[in-house]
Amino acid sequence: MKQRKQFSALHENGEPDAVFRPQLTSLVDVMTILLVFLIQSFSVEGTLVTPAPDLTLPVSTAIEPAKPKLAIEISQSYVLSGGTIIAYTDAFKTSDSLLIPALYDYMIVQKAAYDDSKRAQEVLIQSDREVAFNILKRVMYTCSRAGFVDFSVLVLKEE
Amino acid sequence: MESLFFKKSRSPSEAAAEVIDIDVTPVMNVFIILIPFLISMAVFTHLSIIEFSLPPNVGVGLDEAAGKPKLKLTIVVAKKYLAISHGENLLDSIPVNGNEYEELYKKLLARRETADIRDELVVAVADAIPFQQVINVMDRCRDAGFEKVGLSSAPEEAERL
Repeated sequence: MKQRKQFSALHENGEPDAVFRPQLTSLVDVMTILLVFLIQSFSVEGTLVTPAPDLTLPVSTAIEPAKPKLAIEISQSYVLSGGTIIAYTDAFKTSDSLLIPALYDYMIVQKAAYDDSKRAQEVLIQSDREVAFNILKRVMYTCSRAGFVDFSVLVLKEE
Repeated sequence: MESLFFKKSRSPSEAAAEVIDIDVTPVMNVFIILIPFLISMAVFTHLSIIEFSLPPNVGVGLDEAAGKPKLKLTIVVAKKYLAISHGENLLDSIPVNGNEYEELYKKLLARRETADIRDELVVAVADAIPFQQVINVMDRCRDAGFEKVGLSSAPEEAERL
Protein backbone atom coordinates (compact mmCIF):
# COMPACT_ATOMS: atom_id res chain seq x y z
CA MET A 1 0.00 0.00 0.00
CA LYS A 2 2.76 2.32 0.94
CA GLN A 3 4.67 1.38 -2.25
CA ARG A 4 1.53 1.90 -4.32
CA LYS A 5 1.17 5.36 -2.77
CA GLN A 6 4.68 6.21 -3.74
CA PHE A 7 4.10 5.12 -7.32
CA SER A 8 0.90 7.10 -7.45
CA ALA A 9 2.68 10.19 -6.08
CA LEU A 10 5.27 10.05 -8.83
CA HIS A 11 2.70 9.77 -11.59
CA GLU A 12 0.14 12.07 -10.02
CA ASN A 13 -0.21 14.33 -13.05
CA GLY A 14 -0.25 11.45 -15.51
CA GLU A 15 3.18 12.47 -16.79
CA PRO A 16 6.40 10.54 -16.44
CA ASP A 17 9.16 11.82 -14.23
CA ALA A 18 10.79 15.13 -15.42
CA VAL A 19 13.14 14.68 -18.39
CA PHE A 20 16.54 16.31 -17.95
CA ARG A 21 16.99 19.05 -20.54
CA PRO A 22 20.27 20.94 -20.63
CA GLN A 23 19.94 24.71 -20.75
CA LEU A 24 20.92 25.71 -24.29
CA THR A 25 19.90 29.34 -24.03
CA SER A 26 23.32 30.63 -23.02
CA LEU A 27 24.96 28.47 -25.69
CA VAL A 28 22.66 29.96 -28.31
CA ASP A 29 23.65 33.44 -27.09
CA VAL A 30 27.32 32.64 -27.59
CA MET A 31 26.67 31.12 -31.00
CA THR A 32 24.69 34.17 -32.10
CA ILE A 33 27.47 36.56 -31.17
CA LEU A 34 30.03 34.32 -32.87
CA LEU A 35 27.87 34.17 -35.97
CA VAL A 36 27.56 37.94 -36.17
CA PHE A 37 31.31 38.35 -35.83
CA LEU A 38 32.07 35.74 -38.47
CA ILE A 39 29.59 37.22 -40.93
CA GLN A 40 31.37 40.53 -40.49
CA SER A 41 34.71 38.81 -41.24
CA PHE A 42 33.38 36.85 -44.16
CA SER A 43 35.20 37.39 -47.41
CA VAL A 44 34.00 36.03 -50.74
CA GLU A 45 37.30 36.31 -52.55
CA GLY A 46 39.32 35.02 -49.64
CA THR A 47 43.03 35.59 -49.50
CA LEU A 48 44.82 35.29 -52.81
CA VAL A 49 48.23 35.90 -51.29
CA THR A 50 49.44 34.12 -48.17
CA PRO A 51 51.97 36.07 -46.13
CA ALA A 52 55.01 34.24 -44.86
CA PRO A 53 54.43 33.11 -41.27
CA ASP A 54 57.76 34.26 -39.86
CA LEU A 55 57.56 37.81 -41.20
CA THR A 56 56.02 40.84 -39.56
CA LEU A 57 54.77 42.83 -42.50
CA PRO A 58 54.77 46.63 -42.32
CA VAL A 59 51.49 48.43 -41.76
CA SER A 60 50.23 50.80 -44.42
CA THR A 61 47.19 52.85 -45.42
CA ALA A 62 47.31 51.34 -48.93
CA ILE A 63 44.07 49.77 -50.11
CA GLU A 64 45.01 48.11 -53.38
CA PRO A 65 44.24 44.39 -53.09
CA ALA A 66 47.02 41.86 -53.24
CA LYS A 67 47.45 39.90 -56.45
CA PRO A 68 49.31 36.63 -56.87
CA LYS A 69 52.76 37.25 -58.31
CA LEU A 70 56.21 35.80 -57.99
CA ALA A 71 56.99 36.43 -54.34
CA ILE A 72 60.32 37.14 -52.72
CA GLU A 73 60.34 36.96 -48.93
CA ILE A 74 62.92 38.94 -47.02
CA SER A 75 63.47 38.28 -43.34
CA GLN A 76 66.19 39.52 -41.01
CA SER A 77 68.30 36.43 -41.76
CA TYR A 78 67.61 35.23 -45.27
CA VAL A 79 65.93 35.75 -48.59
CA LEU A 80 63.64 33.02 -49.77
CA SER A 81 61.11 32.26 -52.45
CA GLY A 82 58.69 29.39 -52.79
CA GLY A 83 59.77 28.05 -49.42
CA THR A 84 63.40 27.75 -50.50
CA ILE A 85 66.15 29.81 -48.90
CA ILE A 86 68.02 31.49 -51.69
CA ALA A 87 70.56 33.59 -49.85
CA TYR A 88 71.53 34.57 -46.32
CA THR A 89 71.60 38.32 -45.64
CA ASP A 90 74.85 38.18 -43.70
CA ALA A 91 76.55 36.85 -46.82
CA PHE A 92 75.74 39.80 -49.07
CA LYS A 93 74.74 42.84 -46.99
CA THR A 94 78.28 44.21 -46.79
CA SER A 95 79.32 43.16 -50.26
CA ASP A 96 80.66 45.83 -52.62
CA SER A 97 78.46 44.62 -55.41
CA LEU A 98 74.71 45.15 -55.19
CA LEU A 99 74.07 41.96 -57.12
CA ILE A 100 73.14 38.83 -55.16
CA PRO A 101 74.37 35.97 -57.36
CA ALA A 102 72.17 33.20 -55.99
CA LEU A 103 69.06 35.35 -56.25
CA TYR A 104 70.01 36.48 -59.74
CA ASP A 105 70.32 32.89 -60.96
CA TYR A 106 67.00 32.00 -59.37
CA MET A 107 65.18 34.96 -60.92
CA ILE A 108 66.58 34.18 -64.37
CA VAL A 109 65.10 30.68 -64.12
CA GLN A 110 61.77 32.03 -62.89
CA LYS A 111 61.57 34.58 -65.69
CA ALA A 112 62.07 31.87 -68.28
CA ALA A 113 59.24 29.85 -66.75
CA TYR A 114 56.66 32.55 -67.39
CA ASP A 115 54.99 32.49 -70.79
CA ASP A 116 53.14 35.74 -70.22
CA SER A 117 55.59 38.56 -70.80
CA LYS A 118 53.75 40.95 -68.51
CA ARG A 119 53.71 38.62 -65.55
CA ALA A 120 57.34 37.84 -66.21
CA GLN A 121 58.21 41.38 -65.08
CA GLU A 122 56.26 41.50 -61.82
CA VAL A 123 57.63 40.73 -58.39
CA LEU A 124 55.87 40.84 -55.04
CA ILE A 125 58.19 41.55 -52.14
CA GLN A 126 57.24 40.43 -48.65
CA SER A 127 59.63 42.00 -46.21
CA ASP A 128 59.80 42.15 -42.47
CA ARG A 129 59.17 45.67 -41.25
CA GLU A 130 62.52 45.86 -39.43
CA VAL A 131 64.66 44.85 -42.39
CA ALA A 132 67.12 47.59 -43.33
CA PHE A 133 66.70 49.28 -46.68
CA ASN A 134 70.18 48.11 -47.63
CA ILE A 135 68.93 44.52 -47.95
CA LEU A 136 65.86 45.56 -49.90
CA LYS A 137 67.92 47.71 -52.22
CA ARG A 138 70.15 44.78 -53.15
CA VAL A 139 67.21 42.46 -53.72
CA MET A 140 65.47 44.98 -55.97
CA TYR A 141 68.66 45.66 -57.89
CA THR A 142 69.19 41.94 -58.46
CA CYS A 143 65.61 41.45 -59.61
CA SER A 144 65.85 44.39 -62.00
CA ARG A 145 69.03 42.98 -63.47
CA ALA A 146 67.19 39.71 -64.06
CA GLY A 147 64.50 41.58 -66.00
CA PHE A 148 61.85 42.22 -63.36
CA VAL A 149 60.91 45.87 -63.46
CA ASP A 150 57.51 46.04 -61.75
CA PHE A 151 57.69 45.79 -58.00
CA SER A 152 55.04 45.72 -55.36
CA VAL A 153 55.32 45.31 -51.62
CA LEU A 154 52.90 43.34 -49.48
CA VAL A 155 51.68 45.24 -46.44
CA LEU A 156 49.13 44.87 -43.69
CA LYS A 157 46.19 47.14 -44.20
CA GLU A 158 45.86 49.62 -41.38
CA GLU A 159 42.48 49.22 -39.67
CA MET B 1 -7.54 8.67 -0.47
CA GLU B 2 -9.72 10.72 -2.74
CA SER B 3 -6.74 12.75 -3.83
CA LEU B 4 -5.24 9.64 -5.37
CA PHE B 5 -8.11 9.22 -7.81
CA PHE B 6 -8.82 12.82 -8.76
CA LYS B 7 -6.49 15.01 -10.82
CA LYS B 8 -5.60 18.17 -9.13
CA SER B 9 -7.01 20.97 -11.29
CA ARG B 10 -4.88 24.04 -11.81
CA SER B 11 -6.12 27.59 -11.71
CA PRO B 12 -5.68 29.72 -14.86
CA SER B 13 -3.00 31.80 -13.17
CA GLU B 14 -0.99 28.72 -12.43
CA ALA B 15 -1.24 27.55 -16.02
CA ALA B 16 -0.07 30.93 -17.31
CA ALA B 17 2.83 30.97 -14.91
CA GLU B 18 4.16 27.70 -16.29
CA VAL B 19 7.38 28.34 -18.23
CA ILE B 20 7.29 27.33 -21.87
CA ASP B 21 10.65 26.08 -23.06
CA ILE B 22 11.59 26.91 -26.62
CA ASP B 23 13.10 24.03 -28.48
CA VAL B 24 16.46 25.42 -29.64
CA THR B 25 17.70 22.15 -31.10
CA PRO B 26 17.05 23.13 -34.76
CA VAL B 27 18.75 26.48 -34.21
CA MET B 28 21.79 24.74 -32.75
CA ASN B 29 21.85 22.39 -35.73
CA VAL B 30 22.03 25.38 -38.07
CA PHE B 31 24.78 26.98 -36.00
CA ILE B 32 26.83 23.81 -35.91
CA ILE B 33 26.81 23.72 -39.71
CA LEU B 34 27.15 27.46 -40.34
CA ILE B 35 29.88 28.43 -37.92
CA PRO B 36 32.64 26.06 -39.11
CA PHE B 37 31.93 27.16 -42.67
CA LEU B 38 32.20 30.85 -41.76
CA ILE B 39 35.35 30.24 -39.74
CA SER B 40 36.97 28.66 -42.80
CA MET B 41 36.04 31.67 -44.92
CA ALA B 42 36.89 34.38 -42.41
CA VAL B 43 39.72 36.77 -43.18
CA PHE B 44 41.33 38.14 -40.06
CA THR B 45 44.27 40.01 -41.58
CA HIS B 46 43.70 42.28 -44.51
CA LEU B 47 46.54 42.57 -46.98
CA SER B 48 47.20 45.15 -49.61
CA ILE B 49 50.08 46.07 -51.90
CA ILE B 50 52.04 49.18 -52.75
CA GLU B 51 53.34 49.35 -56.29
CA PHE B 52 56.49 51.25 -57.01
CA SER B 53 59.27 51.40 -59.52
CA LEU B 54 63.02 51.80 -59.72
CA PRO B 55 63.62 55.13 -61.43
CA PRO B 56 66.10 54.88 -64.31
CA ASN B 57 67.53 58.28 -63.38
CA VAL B 58 67.05 59.62 -59.92
CA GLY B 59 65.18 62.92 -59.90
CA VAL B 60 65.26 63.47 -63.64
CA GLY B 61 62.52 63.19 -66.27
CA LEU B 62 62.66 64.51 -69.79
CA ASP B 63 60.29 67.17 -71.02
CA GLU B 64 60.18 66.22 -74.68
CA ALA B 65 58.35 69.35 -75.77
CA ALA B 66 60.82 71.82 -74.34
CA GLY B 67 63.87 69.56 -74.56
CA LYS B 68 64.75 70.39 -70.96
CA PRO B 69 64.93 67.91 -68.11
CA LYS B 70 61.86 67.93 -65.89
CA LEU B 71 62.73 67.46 -62.28
CA LYS B 72 60.76 65.38 -59.83
CA LEU B 73 60.57 66.07 -56.15
CA THR B 74 62.90 63.88 -54.16
CA ILE B 75 62.43 62.93 -50.54
CA VAL B 76 65.59 61.91 -48.76
CA VAL B 77 64.96 59.62 -45.81
CA ALA B 78 67.84 59.68 -43.34
CA LYS B 79 68.13 58.61 -39.74
CA LYS B 80 67.73 62.07 -38.23
CA TYR B 81 65.82 64.01 -40.84
CA LEU B 82 63.58 63.93 -43.90
CA ALA B 83 64.49 66.31 -46.69
CA ILE B 84 62.51 67.47 -49.70
CA SER B 85 64.65 68.52 -52.62
CA HIS B 86 64.07 69.54 -56.20
CA GLY B 87 67.10 68.75 -58.27
CA GLU B 88 70.03 70.30 -56.46
CA ASN B 89 67.87 72.62 -54.37
CA LEU B 90 66.99 71.66 -50.83
CA LEU B 91 63.43 72.84 -50.22
CA ASP B 92 62.57 71.55 -46.75
CA SER B 93 64.26 69.70 -43.95
CA ILE B 94 62.14 67.95 -41.33
CA PRO B 95 63.75 66.61 -38.15
CA VAL B 96 62.77 63.15 -36.98
CA ASN B 97 60.97 63.92 -33.72
CA GLY B 98 57.79 61.87 -33.74
CA ASN B 99 55.76 64.28 -35.87
CA GLU B 100 57.87 64.05 -38.98
CA TYR B 101 55.29 62.24 -41.10
CA GLU B 102 52.54 64.77 -40.48
CA GLU B 103 55.00 67.55 -41.19
CA LEU B 104 56.10 65.77 -44.37
CA TYR B 105 52.50 65.48 -45.51
CA LYS B 106 51.88 69.21 -45.05
CA LYS B 107 55.10 70.16 -46.83
CA LEU B 108 54.34 67.86 -49.73
CA LEU B 109 50.87 69.31 -50.15
CA ALA B 110 52.40 72.78 -50.35
CA ARG B 111 55.25 71.80 -52.67
CA ARG B 112 52.99 69.89 -55.01
CA GLU B 113 51.32 73.10 -56.09
CA THR B 114 54.50 74.44 -57.64
CA ALA B 115 56.13 71.17 -58.73
CA ASP B 116 56.73 70.41 -62.41
CA ILE B 117 55.56 66.83 -62.01
CA ARG B 118 52.63 66.54 -59.64
CA ASP B 119 51.91 62.84 -59.56
CA GLU B 120 55.35 61.35 -59.28
CA LEU B 121 58.29 61.65 -56.97
CA VAL B 122 61.33 59.75 -55.80
CA VAL B 123 62.03 58.51 -52.29
CA ALA B 124 65.77 58.17 -51.68
CA VAL B 125 66.42 56.10 -48.57
CA ALA B 126 69.55 55.68 -46.49
CA ASP B 127 70.74 52.10 -46.05
CA ALA B 128 70.07 51.77 -42.33
CA ILE B 129 66.45 52.91 -42.45
CA PRO B 130 63.96 50.17 -41.44
CA PHE B 131 61.46 49.20 -44.04
CA GLN B 132 58.47 50.34 -41.98
CA GLN B 133 59.73 53.92 -42.12
CA VAL B 134 59.99 53.70 -45.87
CA ILE B 135 56.39 52.53 -46.04
CA ASN B 136 55.29 55.39 -43.77
CA VAL B 137 56.93 57.92 -46.09
CA MET B 138 55.36 56.30 -49.16
CA ASP B 139 51.95 56.44 -47.48
CA ARG B 140 52.30 60.17 -46.87
CA CYS B 141 53.40 60.72 -50.45
CA ARG B 142 50.35 58.90 -51.72
CA ASP B 143 48.08 60.83 -49.37
CA ALA B 144 49.55 64.08 -50.68
CA GLY B 145 48.58 63.13 -54.23
CA PHE B 146 51.75 61.54 -55.57
CA GLU B 147 50.42 58.28 -56.95
CA LYS B 148 53.67 57.06 -58.45
CA VAL B 149 56.62 56.59 -56.18
CA GLY B 150 60.12 55.57 -57.19
CA LEU B 151 62.51 54.09 -54.66
CA SER B 152 66.16 54.92 -54.76
CA SER B 153 69.22 54.96 -52.59
CA ALA B 154 70.10 58.12 -50.69
CA PRO B 155 73.28 60.10 -51.40
CA GLU B 156 76.35 59.34 -49.36
CA GLU B 157 76.08 62.44 -47.19
CA ALA B 158 72.65 61.29 -46.01
CA GLU B 159 74.17 57.96 -45.00
CA ARG B 160 76.63 59.68 -42.71
CA LEU B 161 74.08 61.84 -40.89
